[in-house]
Amino acid sequence: MDFFTALRVSGSGLSAERTRVNLASSNLANAETTRGPDGQPYKRLDPVFQAVAMEGANATPGAPGEKPMGVEVSQVVADQTPGKRVYSPGHPDADADGFVTFPNVNPVNEVVNLLSASRGYEANATAVETLKQMAQRGLDISR
Amino acid sequence: MRSELDMIVGGVRPLERPEAHTIEAPGKSGEGTFTGELTKALGEVDKLQVDADQQAKMVAEGGGNLHEMSLALEKADISMRLAMKVRNKLVDAYNEIMRMSV
Repeated sequence: MDFFTALRVSGSGLSAERTRVNLASSNLANAETTRGPDGQPYKRLDPVFQAVAMEGANATPGAPGEKPMGVEVSQVVADQTPGKRVYSPGHPDADADGFVTFPNVNPVNEVVNLLSASRGYEANATAVETLKQMAQRGLDISR
Repeated sequence: MRSELDMIVGGVRPLERPEAHTIEAPGKSGEGTFTGELTKALGEVDKLQVDADQQAKMVAEGGGNLHEMSLALEKADISMRLAMKVRNKLVDAYNEIMRMSV
């Protein structure tokens, strides 16, 4: 049913925004982590979104490239900008010069990211809600 | 006498049969019949119900994810409502016909 295409599109949006929230909270949680699994300081993670064709979208009229598209996280990239270095010779992760490299995470940016992702999630949820109301309204016509 | 009778009988034209409508025999579950389509649609509604059930089970077991479950429930809800609408219309039509005085 073509009615469910928008549901699937919004569902993919919800999944993508949730991934973004996951990564933002990971960045926040590791804002001070000086050692990751590879022994290096934590690097902030960013999702890369990609538009994907949705199954069932073919029922929508339009050219092949102009169908409703869902979104998916195509990859997660680690931000390679260097983190700030703090002089702290007693720290177990200090280098030979006594400097500790902290993650390149700015908590303020991450919180803004989190807010934006949460708003995006809400927007997709609102689209689902609207669609549901439309479906019910459409069914009410023949009451 | 005979010829008079022939004249009278010849004057009576046989009743013309109205063009018979071709109605598909009901009960066949083949493509295109109403029953077949209805069964197919009900099968799809059932599939969505089962899907919603599985999603809810997955979430209850700690797997799955919440919005996928909500969407599956929503799909099941909408399709069930549509099925109920069709059923009510059918029953209404049936009652209407049964009330008809012949």
